[in-house]
Amino acid sequence: MKMLEYEAKPIFSTYGIPVPKGVLIRAPEEVTAHLPEFGDSVVMKAQVDVGGRGKAGGVLFADATSAVRTARELFSREIKGIPVKEILVEERLPIEHEYYVSIAIDRSSKQPVILFADAGGVEIESDVTAVRKVVVSPLLRDIPPFLMRELLGGAPKELAPVINSLYHVFQEKDAMLAEINPLVTTPRGVYAADAKLIVDDNALARQGIEVNRDLSEREREAERHGFSYVELDGTIGVIGNGAGLTMSTLDLIEYYQGRAANFLDVGGGADQERVKHAVRLVASMPKVSVIVVNLLGGITRCDEVAKGIIAAGVTPPVIVRMAGTNEEEGRRLLSECGYRMLESMDAAVKAAMEARS
Amino acid sequence: MIYGDKDLGVIVQNITGRQGTFHTELMNAYAREVGGRGVVAGVAPGKAGREVHGVPVYNTVKDALAEHDATASVIFVPGGAAGDSIMEAAHAGIDLAVVITEHIPVHDAMSAIAYAKLHDCTVIGPNCPGFLSPGECKLGIMPAHLATRGAVGVVSRSGTLTYEVVDELTRAGIGQSTVVGIGGDPVIGQTFVDVLARFEEDPQTKAVVVIGEVGGNLEEEGVRSTSLPVVTYIAGVSAPPEKRMGHAGAIIEGGEGDARSKVRRLAALGVPVASRPSEIPGLIREVL
Repeated sequence: MKMLEYEAKPIFSTYGIPVPKGVLIRAPEEVTAHLPEFGDSVVMKAQVDVGGRGKAGGVLFADATSAVRTARELFSREIKGIPVKEILVEERLPIEHEYYVSIAIDRSSKQPVILFADAGGVEIESDVTAVRKVVVSPLLRDIPPFLMRELLGGAPKELAPVINSLYHVFQEKDAMLAEINPLVTTPRGVYAADAKLIVDDNALARQGIEVNRDLSEREREAERHGFSYVELDGTIGVIGNGAGLTMSTLDLIEYYQGRAANFLDVGGGADQERVKHAVRLVASMPKVSVIVVNLLGGITRCDEVAKGIIAAGVTPPVIVRMAGTNEEEGRRLLSECGYRMLESMDAAVKAAMEARS
Repeated sequence: MIYGDKDLGVIVQNITGRQGTFHTELMNAYAREVGGRGVVAGVAPGKAGREVHGVPVYNTVKDALAEHDATASVIFVPGGAAGDSIMEAAHAGIDLAVVITEHIPVHDAMSAIAYAKLHDCTVIGPNCPGFLSPGECKLGIMPAHLATRGAVGVVSRSGTLTYEVVDELTRAGIGQSTVVGIGGDPVIGQTFVDVLARFEEDPQTKAVVVIGEVGGNLEEEGVRSTSLPVVTYIAGVSAPPEKRMGHAGAIIEGGEGDARSKVRRLAALGVPVASRPSEIPGLIREVL
C-alpha cells in the first residue's frame, strides 16, 4: 500500500530523518493560522498518488501575502486527473544541493537494493546511468560502511546516517519501496524534502495499517469473500481460479477481440457458496453481458461449482469451462439447468464472444 | 527429472493444518502409485505423538529428522510464521524446502531465503504449487492426474495456469520430465535461471516451457541463461498497469515489466512465444 507524502514523513522523522516543518490543510483558509511557523516562504504540495507530481503542476511556491490565493489555485487543480483534496504546506528549505536515494527489492538477487544519485529531483527517472546501486544482505541490520562509501562516491558523508535510517525504515516498516527524492543539503543540515513509502500488502496487519481505503462497494464485497478482484472496462465477466489462469483468460478474450469486464480469482478450493457469491458479484455489474467461468485444478469439485452457478441464478448467460473431480456430475447438473459447459478455455471464450450483446 | 526421484524422503511442516493434512494424503497416494517414499514425517509444534494419515508428527524439524531419513520439506505454515519455518528447516539440515504458503511478507521471504542459502538449503517458492516429476515424486499440491512422463520440462510462476499447460501437453501426447511452480511472489527462492540450470543438467529434459507473467524481468534472464530449446508464454498482456510496480522498480528495469514488452524482448531473442496456452504443444513439437 502506497503512503502519501504527509503520511510517510512523520514515519521517516521517527527514525531520525530530518523533514521540513509542515502542516496538512484541507481548505485554502487553513493555511493562514500556520504561516508564522514557516517564515517568509512556503511550498505547497498536492497530496495525490501520482508520479511526476511537480511537473504536472502539483507543487507551488508562495509567500505570506499570496499563500491563501496559491492554496486556492492548487485546490482547484486536477493532477493527472486526480482532484486535489489535501495539501501539505511546508517551510521552504534553503537548498544547496539535491540528491536521490531509493531502497527497493531486487527480485533478481532477492535482496534490498539501494539506489543513489548525486543529482536528485524531477529528472532522475530519465537518467538511469547517473544512478549508483548496491545490494545489501537482508540479514544485515545496517548498511556496512564499505557499501555506504561505494554508494555515496564523492557525495557528503553527512548523508550516510540519513540513508542508513532510511534502510531501517525500509526493514522495520515492511517496505517494498522507501525513497527520498530529493534528499537535500542546506546550511542547517540534511533534509528529506519529499518522502515515498510503499508497504508490503502482506504485512499490513503486523504494521497495524488499516487496509485499502478507497474501495468500491463491489471491491469491498470481493474482499469480504477473499477474492482477488479488479474492475476493467469491457463487457465479458470473468471468474477463474489462480491469478495466472484468470489473467490468461483475460488475455484470451483480448486475443478474440473482446474486452473483459473484470478479473476475479476465487482462490483455492472453490466450493458452492464461494462460486455463488463470485457469480453474483460479477453479474451485479450492469455492463456485464456474459460471464465466463474457467476453473481448473485437482481439488476443485465440479459438482460443487455447478451447484454454485445454478444457485446464483443470474440473468447474463454463464459459460463454464472446468476440470477436476466429479466433472461428469458437474456437466450433468449444468446441462439440466440449461448452462453450457465447454471442454477448453479457447472454446469457452469463443462461446462467450458469440453470446454477448 | 530434477530436484529428486522416488527415493526422496519428505517431511511436511504444519502437517496438522487443513491443507497440510489434505495434501500429505495426496502426496502419499502418488508415492504409493509410483512406488516412492513420499512423506515420512510431519511437524506441528506441540502436537508430537499424533499421526496424520499414518504419518507420525513431531514438534520440530530436528526431532523429525532424528527419527527419519528425509532431505526435503513441504511447508504449509501460514504467512507470518512461514519465514521462521523455512529457517528451521534449513537449520536442521533440510536440503530442499518447498514453500506452498501464500501471503508471506516479502521481508520475511528475503531473510529466510538468504538464511537458507547459508545452510545450502534450496528454496522453491513461496506462494507456489511445488513440483511434480511424473512417475517419480510429487512435492506440493499439483494435480498429478494431468501429467504424464516425458521429455519436456515446465517452469512457471503460476499454479492453475501451469496445470492448464500440462493438460494441453498431455492431451497432445507430450510428456513432462518435471513440472516446477516457482511461485508468484516478488521474492522467490528458485528463479527461472536456477530451474533452467537444473533442466540443462538433466538428461531426461530435451526442451522447456517457460510460463511467465507481468512484473520483473526474470523470464528473460532465464531464457538467456539456457542452451535448451525453450517455448514461452507470458500471462497478463491485457492486464492494466500494476500500481504495485513502484518507481524504483521501473528505474532498475528501465521501465520494462509489463507483459507486452516482455513478449517483445523474448521474441527478439528468437524464442517462440505462444499467444495462448493451446499454442504451446505445437510450438514445443517444432523445437524438439
